[in-house]
Amino acid sequence: MIITSIRRTSRQNLSKVLTTMLVPSRYTIERWSYTLQRVSGVVVMLYFVAHVIETGYVVGGPGVWYVPPYEVAQRSWETVKASLKDPVFDVGLGIIGLLVTFHTINGVRLTLTHFGYTLKRPHRPEFPYEVRSFTNFQRGLFWLSISFAVFSMIYALDTLLGVFRA
Amino acid sequence: MRNEIILKVYRFDPTSGKPPTYKRYSVPITERETVLDALLYVKEHQDATLSLRFSCRMAVCGSCGMLIDGLPRLACYTQISELDTDEIEVRPMSNYPIVRDLVVDMSGFFEKHRSVMPWLIRRDVREQNQPTKQYLQSDEQLLEYLQFSYCIKCGLCYAACPVVTAMDEFLGPQALAQLYRYIRDSRDEGATERLKSAGEFNGVWRCHFAGSCSQVCPKGVDPALAIQLLRRRTLFMK
Amino acid sequence: MRERTLMIMHYLTGLGILVSGTIHVYVVFLTVPANLTAWESTLSFDGFQFAILPVYRNLALALSLEILLICTTYHGLNGLRIILYELFQGRSARTYVKYALFAIGALLLIYGTRTIIIAHSIGGP
Repeated sequence: MIITSIRRTSRQNLSKVLTTMLVPSRYTIERWSYTLQRVSGVVVMLYFVAHVIETGYVVGGPGVWYVPPYEVAQRSWETVKASLKDPVFDVGLGIIGLLVTFHTINGVRLTLTHFGYTLKRPHRPEFPYEVRSFTNFQRGLFWLSISFAVFSMIYALDTLLGVFRA
Repeated sequence: MRNEIILKVYRFDPTSGKPPTYKRYSVPITERETVLDALLYVKEHQDATLSLRFSCRMAVCGSCGMLIDGLPRLACYTQISELDTDEIEVRPMSNYPIVRDLVVDMSGFFEKHRSVMPWLIRRDVREQNQPTKQYLQSDEQLLEYLQFSYCIKCGLCYAACPVVTAMDEFLGPQALAQLYRYIRDSRDEGATERLKSAGEFNGVWRCHFAGSCSQVCPKGVDPALAIQLLRRRTLFMK
Repeated sequence: MRERTLMIMHYLTGLGILVSGTIHVYVVFLTVPANLTAWESTLSFDGFQFAILPVYRNLALALSLEILLICTTYHGLNGLRIILYELFQGRSARTYVKYALFAIGALLLIYGTRTIIIAHSIGGP
């Protein structure tokens, strides 16, 4: 149903909206999951666009719509590789690893919870009220996604930069 | 145990043309006093112009919702001692247009509630108007929706929801929980129609399970649970 | 399309990314023993054991990359649509958002598919 006669419930104020989206202080970890899922999703999407453009240059750039000869392809590959040699990109890739892993595992958690799995059945509410949807299982999955994300960042930085290798 | 607290209250008079301000009141308190008691003390003894909405003082009518220390709560249901601060900030609920001081305009909220058709739909309308038999229901059937029917329409979940802040058109946790409550009612026969409206762009899919609605609900309704279960019904369309 | 279809696709493409993205990360990363020389050999054009580009001469892996491309484009742009629907309201704003994202998606898909096809067809020396 599309409500047309509805009064604006709040003045559309971008800074207020962004504060609500990005600063979930005083709320539970489900709210943090909402914020982090959004932020990580947007950042990973930006990375994805950059990655598609970058890999496009690896095979010769947007001007090439045919299969280039072997030597030409090798030359453009080496050019792109040299331009991405900066360790800043490696650290960035580590952060992308963190965000992708978090978004993936938290995404599985959200897919389960969004369809009512891992949540408790409705019951007769009795004081003190227990929130049936804040189950330990789905909260555990959130913390699992955080820990896996940190682990994958360490693994990525180790592989790319060798910083954690003795 | 404190003997006195500071109430930092949001004051706004739209007719004066001045921007909103905060005013501080020093209030003597006793044990087991609620924020509503303190606000009414201010109104009685210090500043009679303070406007607020309240009625039952026992968390049944749901009219004294406000932002207390940044979280939507019922003023009559919040003990000052449980907040454990010397200065309590009281603001009108977010996501609503402000009428004056702590009073907000809830007509949009109620309109959304009305739009989910919160009544029993029967195929045989004539029979519904002149019922010939009782609509029997087992205990298990009752438990499917009983929790969600405890809603007192106080609007706290609507004030806490981050999606409502951004998107005025979103139905909000309260309306969607009531939508689910009527779908699960074994006496109701309008499930197909209800599910169709729940699947619109401003319906159940805009919920991202931030869980704030369930956190602030004073009656244990858990709107987040209702919305997730509603989404499963919307997925399978039954 | 109806909102319900779009959102169900969102969950399904998420699942698709989970599978094809795991393959992608496995091919790029996990075949590499954790030392710097191996990562260098991954990024080398050809000839080394772990070089990344020759991997996609394998049709199945190239197809899984294509699936990853399609799923990520849809999933990411639909996620942006969800956010933009909240920020810009009204029927006309929604239409603009929908068509703008559709155009971006088409560009990403065409350009990415071209890259995958070329990477798949570059032969040996």
